[in-house]
Amino acid sequence: MRPMPRLSFSHAVQALLLAVAVLLPLVVGAYWTHVGAIAWYYALLAASWALLAGYAGQFSFAHMAFAALGGYASALFVEKLGLPLPLAIILALFLAMVMGALIAALVLRLSGPYLALFTLAISEIFRLVLVAEDEITRGMLGLEVPGFFPGSSDRPYYYLGLALVVLCVLGMNMLLSTRVGLFLRAIREDEGAARTSGIDTTRYKILVFVVTSGIAALAGTYYGHFIGILTPNIAILPEMGLVIAMAVIGGIESLPGAVIGAVVVYLLSESLRSYGEWRFVLLGLVLILVQRFAQNGLFPFIERLGRKQRPAPALKAAPVPANSVEDGHAG
Amino acid sequence: MPADHSFISVGGLAKHFGGIHAVQDLSFGLDRREIVGLIGPNGSGKTTTINMLTGVLRPDDGTIAVDGVDMARSPAHHFARSGIARTFQVPRLFRRMTVMENLMVPALSDPSERRASATLRAREILAFLRLDHLADDYARALSGGQQKLLELGRALMLKPRLLLLDEPFAGVHPRLLEQIIDHIRSLNRDGHTIVVVDHNLEAIQSVVSRTIVMTRGRKIADGAVAEVLQDPEVVRAYTGARAKQ
Repeated sequence: MRPMPRLSFSHAVQALLLAVAVLLPLVVGAYWTHVGAIAWYYALLAASWALLAGYAGQFSFAHMAFAALGGYASALFVEKLGLPLPLAIILALFLAMVMGALIAALVLRLSGPYLALFTLAISEIFRLVLVAEDEITRGMLGLEVPGFFPGSSDRPYYYLGLALVVLCVLGMNMLLSTRVGLFLRAIREDEGAARTSGIDTTRYKILVFVVTSGIAALAGTYYGHFIGILTPNIAILPEMGLVIAMAVIGGIESLPGAVIGAVVVYLLSESLRSYGEWRFVLLGLVLILVQRFAQNGLFPFIERLGRKQRPAPALKAAPVPANSVEDGHAG
Repeated sequence: MPADHSFISVGGLAKHFGGIHAVQDLSFGLDRREIVGLIGPNGSGKTTTINMLTGVLRPDDGTIAVDGVDMARSPAHHFARSGIARTFQVPRLFRRMTVMENLMVPALSDPSERRASATLRAREILAFLRLDHLADDYARALSGGQQKLLELGRALMLKPRLLLLDEPFAGVHPRLLEQIIDHIRSLNRDGHTIVVVDHNLEAIQSVVSRTIVMTRGRKIADGAVAEVLQDPEVVRAYTGARAKQ
């Protein structure tokens, strides 16, 4: 099992970043508070996708479709059925989780590029339905969505988004700390070997799709009610690519890493807005540099740097170098 | 020859891949505490048989009765949970997980197993396999022989009643080969029923009491090792296969 010192350093970094996040709206203006509130939307998506792809090895491209489903369902339940907002949100999440289970059941035998392509097709079909059914969704004109809070301040949304990120990451981490987390990683490593080790892989793959679909829908619901308007562009492929880039840059096998990746990439993207299309070139370069010099992502890289400042025991947790294989006494 | 074969009873097992008959009308039985070799030239259907006996492949026809209950259509995890464990020709470890985590996966797949007792059992098995000093290392960092031992350990964590070892002697250092043979004998003494699939006839002979020989998907002999290896059909199957190579 992994030694504790690594977790301690990781917790210290996370606590520091959380404190900064809590204090940020008090020292920055309304614009950056707004940007921060949107960053939490991406953080929810990147962290839940990291659980799905990084931990469980299910490279789904349907994540943004679930965000769209959550946002649209919640808004339509309020507008068309006149349901109270909390009930509309709960029903939207439930609907997304049921859809997540159905899609998981459909893709059980698929993996790698086949799974990616299948889920991409599902996502595109869903987006095109949103465009085509404009009598219900208002298509590209956009569906107006009521807000959560009265007034025009973005600060309540910022703190709501932050709270959702903290709660979801804590919840997912709790799940990963149980035997379910061990099984998901085993499925990612070798599904066949996991099955012959007694794991009902079908059950756990459906579970992880249900959980991550629910969180993606929660993100979409939060985003829709915050921004006040939803268009089918929420589910376009570049948005999915952005979420994947965020998770990869932050650390695809680390939930806090994916959150940090989302915040860094989105803040960077906004900071570079004056450079127009060039900002995407710069973000691409960041992705390349991270892949080259911090392959596991920024957060694991920071953790490793932190461990190097500490006494020897923490080094044992690092992956064992190939040369230790020679004498059969790795580590 | 054991007469009862009450533990495992395989009847009329068949598996086709397109037009290729990988296994045809295969029947045999296994007694408790028996140790059996399953041999045959390349492509004779040995691994397909193991795959069907562990639920990895679903047979097209036939039965696999475990304690009288047919499990031929059961999923792999049901076989594992009923105490049928296996290793693979090429070790299939959870490479980016530690040695200890590799052992915890099968142990914790049993909902009634507590983490503390599983850890204790894993440490005992690592000591038995002389891998205890590697508990916190990643599986991908182990040598080929150590990976085979770890996979054996992972199978043992299922508390198996039947252990199916697919080519346990292939590609291992002679010193490690002796160690693996010792482990197989020791496990058999502890009450495990074991099936060993391998091409190393010398090693097979040193551990098994009975051998089943397959060629082209069919069983052509079943009996004591010395007798089976004198069987003209077995000799022809082997020499024919060698001549082709």
